[in-house]
Amino acid sequence: MERVKALILTGYGLNCDWETAYAFEKAGADARRVHVNSLLWGEEDLENYHIFVFDGGFSFGDDHGAGVILAMKIKHHLGGAFNRFLDDGKLVIGICNGFQVLVNMGLLPGFEEEPGKRKVALTWNDCGNFRDQWVNLVVNKQSPCVFTSGIEKIELPVRHGEGKFYAPQDVIDTLVERNQVVIQYATSDFTPAKGRFPENPNGSLGDIAGICDSTGRIFGLMPHPEAYNHWTNHPDWTRVKQNGKREDPFGDPEAPGLKIFRNAVEYCENNLL
Amino acid sequence: MAARLEITLKPELFDAEGESILRKASDYFNFSLQKVRVIHVLTIDARLGKDELEAIRREIFTNPVTQLSSYEPVARDFDWIIWVGFRPGVRDTAGSVAMEAITDYLDYSFSDDEAVYTSKIYQINAPELTREDVEQIAKELLANDTIQQWKIFPRAKWDEKNGIGIIIPRVILNREPTVTVFPLESDEELARLSAERNLALHPNDIPVIRKYFLDPEVRESRKKVGLFYPTDVELEYISQARSDHCNHNTFRGKFHYSDLSTGEKVVVDNLFKTCIEKPTLELQKKKDWVISVLWDNAGVAKFDDENNYVITGETHNSPSNIEAYGGALTGIVGVYRDPMGTGKGAKLIAGMYGYCVGPRDYDGDLKPRLHPRRLLDGIIEGVRDGGNKSGIPTPFGNLLFHPSYLGKCLVYVTAVGIMPATIHGKPSHEKTTSDGDLIVMCGGRVGKDGIHGVTASSEIYSEHTPAGHVQIGDPYTQKKMHDFLLEARDEGLIEFITDNGGGGLSSSVGESARFSGGAYVELDRVPLKYEGLDQWEIWVSESQERMTVAVKPENWERFKTLSKKHAVESTVIGKYTSNGKLHITYEGKTCAYIDIDFLQAGFPQWEFEAEWKSPEQRGLSEPVLSTPSDFRKLFHEFLSSPNICSREWITRQYDHEVQGTSVIKHLGGRRRDVPNDAAVLCPILGSTRGLALTQAINPTYSAIDTYWMIAATIDEAVRRLIAVGAQFDKIGGVDNFCWPNIQYDPINNPDGKYKAAQLVRANWALRDICEAYEIPLLSGKDSMYIDGNLPGRYGEKHKVSGLPAMQFTASGIVKDVRLCQTMDFKKEGEAIYVLGNTGDELGGSEYYCFLGYTGLNVPKLDPQQTIPLYRALQAAMEEKLVTSCKSINRGGLGVSIALAAFAGEVGAELDLGRVPTNESLTSEKILFSESCGRFIVTVSRDKRGEFESLMADLPVSLVGQTLKSRRVLRILDKTGKLILNEPLENLKHSWKKPFARLG
Repeated sequence: MERVKALILTGYGLNCDWETAYAFEKAGADARRVHVNSLLWGEEDLENYHIFVFDGGFSFGDDHGAGVILAMKIKHHLGGAFNRFLDDGKLVIGICNGFQVLVNMGLLPGFEEEPGKRKVALTWNDCGNFRDQWVNLVVNKQSPCVFTSGIEKIELPVRHGEGKFYAPQDVIDTLVERNQVVIQYATSDFTPAKGRFPENPNGSLGDIAGICDSTGRIFGLMPHPEAYNHWTNHPDWTRVKQNGKREDPFGDPEAPGLKIFRNAVEYCENNLL
Repeated sequence: MAARLEITLKPELFDAEGESILRKASDYFNFSLQKVRVIHVLTIDARLGKDELEAIRREIFTNPVTQLSSYEPVARDFDWIIWVGFRPGVRDTAGSVAMEAITDYLDYSFSDDEAVYTSKIYQINAPELTREDVEQIAKELLANDTIQQWKIFPRAKWDEKNGIGIIIPRVILNREPTVTVFPLESDEELARLSAERNLALHPNDIPVIRKYFLDPEVRESRKKVGLFYPTDVELEYISQARSDHCNHNTFRGKFHYSDLSTGEKVVVDNLFKTCIEKPTLELQKKKDWVISVLWDNAGVAKFDDENNYVITGETHNSPSNIEAYGGALTGIVGVYRDPMGTGKGAKLIAGMYGYCVGPRDYDGDLKPRLHPRRLLDGIIEGVRDGGNKSGIPTPFGNLLFHPSYLGKCLVYVTAVGIMPATIHGKPSHEKTTSDGDLIVMCGGRVGKDGIHGVTASSEIYSEHTPAGHVQIGDPYTQKKMHDFLLEARDEGLIEFITDNGGGGLSSSVGESARFSGGAYVELDRVPLKYEGLDQWEIWVSESQERMTVAVKPENWERFKTLSKKHAVESTVIGKYTSNGKLHITYEGKTCAYIDIDFLQAGFPQWEFEAEWKSPEQRGLSEPVLSTPSDFRKLFHEFLSSPNICSREWITRQYDHEVQGTSVIKHLGGRRRDVPNDAAVLCPILGSTRGLALTQAINPTYSAIDTYWMIAATIDEAVRRLIAVGAQFDKIGGVDNFCWPNIQYDPINNPDGKYKAAQLVRANWALRDICEAYEIPLLSGKDSMYIDGNLPGRYGEKHKVSGLPAMQFTASGIVKDVRLCQTMDFKKEGEAIYVLGNTGDELGGSEYYCFLGYTGLNVPKLDPQQTIPLYRALQAAMEEKLVTSCKSINRGGLGVSIALAAFAGEVGAELDLGRVPTNESLTSEKILFSESCGRFIVTVSRDKRGEFESLMADLPVSLVGQTLKSRRVLRILDKTGKLILNEPLENLKHSWKKPFARLG
């Protein structure tokens, strides 16, 4: 059987490529780590892939705004091929630095009336520091996002210095209206954090942790689903295990982070193969 | 014509960087600023037209959602402007990335005299501040004069049109590279010239060096290549290789040790050989998992059947003490190159840190170059950026405050990597160079970085003089190189690899050439950052992010192609030979020709007088103290003390989960804010085998006896590993010594003989305990001279020597990570056990330090007591009998039980009368003794029988239970009197409070 192929970008300071490739493999895809230059130099053809992954890291050192230079490079050199990839109904996910790349490319939010325009930004955390912590996330069930289908809530780690979602109020209103807000930082009972630190770890407006485009096929998020690839990644696993009798304390057949990747793979199997 | 692009956040946006400066200005100097906004400056020194400049402004450097930018000054409505930029020659990564982006976008190629420089403008609103205040903010908060320059503009003097002006920190040396030769008239003359040139040749080495160059055979062979007297390239090579840093002359020295209390005298010939090498090699014979130790850049141990892990530790004290951020950043990025240069190269999987600094709130009379507060902030941020930007998790670390580190801070950095056991069917830990292999330099370019200063007369200072000596690591460049080299390794293109650290090419080529038996290097092929370096400077420069690789000529094309793909510069600078010579040329002319085995030949051993005085002879005694009557107040204040309280503000800044391998995190418990004993990773995704990592450091015990300091420190690391579930039989160690100068001098180091004896005793303990615990020392380093001379009130200088320290890093295999445990109490109504005897051992403890004492009774480890206990506990954990496990460390049982209880938010009752002790002890001694080999463990009611039978005949007692519903810590003394009954929430608040606002 033909397998769904995922392209995991590497090089120039990206650094979550190995575990993201692993997560996609676990989810049933044939995941390839592909260097930015292999793409730009035509050694690899986008057309052969179904899912394009901008994974986390510090592309180009992030010194001129996170994701800015990589976005410029891809847009400048690969614009046409990338548009064809999208026109073919294929999937794009940007995680952390990848989310920053997607907003700088203008692919997100990708309002139809202003395609390719930068409308939102991920800027410095209000706390002023890089921060690594787990967050609770509530998923918008109305969102068209194919990656989060069937997921209502999820816990994931965030690890970033520039993750504050910022946009003028009218843009945020539009995002909400159109259900493009996919995930929000939440309190322990999975209701939106309403800006409260550290539940909302960076001061993101509207507690926004991830958004999609109007088709739901392009998804960007700050948290790292690939870092929740096994139940032992969860910070509470020794506690939960002690309170239950199960070998696998959470009772999930697969780690919740992997569901996001499995959704993508299944979508491609059903629609693209 | 240069242009200056200024970029700033839109005024309605919150400026987090500005806000953090505002906070620090208040924290450091008590200044109240109203507002700080940061403007990022790009000075583009290139022949770009107006349209091109506008295009890059709009398309690359300005985010239309959040930023405003202009080629005109953008500062408005301020009281002061501070501009801060790099000094010439300082690594400006953001500037080079900007060039990369401009090149890409405009298809523009920068010529050698063009560049982009980044700098910052701080726009400050604070009408009350005087110029002096602003100078202080610039100098002590925003900039460091070793690498940066700054300018201050008051509102009244601001030029609206030109702003800060155009400042171009370009290096212009304007000199022809020159080789200098050194006449060999006499030993004295060579010693004088060496001192004049800062060559740092050891006086004892000078006759050996002269003898070599005067040898008729040597002279004859040198004559053939046009050399006579030794050149500066050659003497620099010798000096580097013979330095204490590279050659460990102190540890390899001869110690005349006498114990003044017993009259016993003994000569210890070579601490390294007798206390480190010998025991480790013997253990290697016994333990097949010890793969490669003591010769390469890092040690190699077996992880599983297919993979080996690689580990090493370093210190970067002196550079961090001068420039905290840059020094620490360079330290962590530098130590990451060690696993990359071990065997055929390893992938990095973890980094760790240990910091020892003066008190954060120090306000005494001594004036360290950087106040501990600023120093610590800089160190934390340097290691953060180095680790995070490398994509390597930083899962564990230490921080210790002690006034003795005001003289010099300690910055420990540890790196862990992993590599397949075999590559193309050959063991990956083996490597060699052969005649004909190309010498390839990969990574960054060479500048004056890290080169010792020469005499003032040979270099006249100007605004274009490079700020040599201090380096700033560049994790971005190194990450690209890391990815490239792993790919080259997997294709079998690497014969040998090593990093360029201390000594630069001189060390890396010099050492790798010993394998093939010679090397030929053309220095003019080495890519430079700027022209005008002398040959010797190219040879010894410590410019960062470089590796030296041996590549077969037939593999060079492929190697070069991969290098290009990864945007890494790789250059052939020569080839390995087998003629026994290190032959260096510049533009065809020989500038060094020296026998490769010369360094092995007959250099005299360093010698030290070592005199031990027992603690009693030094007048140490136990303090006379009675039992406190207010344990509540004591607990609150003790938990708030700087060495006990929460460090979450540091831990959270470090990405400890990248690579998706995290199993036990540094912070755990119900609110995920209390430290675990060790970190556990699953480095091979999909496998459940784990690697547990931890570190310990206890220099306060050194004030009593360094032997027991080392013993306790090793034991702490071991018990931390056992507490999370590592296997006792598969623990490896890394010893990182930091010691004050041990060379006796009646004026400058009057207690040098005592410090030398401390070092000898420390090594004896290292040997004894590693033998007893069967811990091979996979790697280790020593850093001497942790002394500083600090100005006091009246201009007098005080020598401050740091307490002798060893950070011990331990790594252990976890058979199945699903059996790991954490320190937090999990459930109500469980049995609490204390494992291991508590003794009257508070000498050097946190409790005594807290009350202003040193004491005498330092914790004394007895491995015969602890080993059976560790094995039994490991078995109990494997049998899943234990629901939480915490090793008892700094602060003793009292602190440990408080941490475990408030971490789990489960109340606990502790009966001091049931704690296993060697003798009858008072309450505070039971609570705060720091005896080795102890744990707090909880066991559910139904497993108690099984647990107790496993622990039969061991010093293990049921001391209390976790409480139903009441979230309090209750402690009963031996008479049954309740001496503490305090809500956990309050205790935790005290513990978290001191540094809470830094998070």
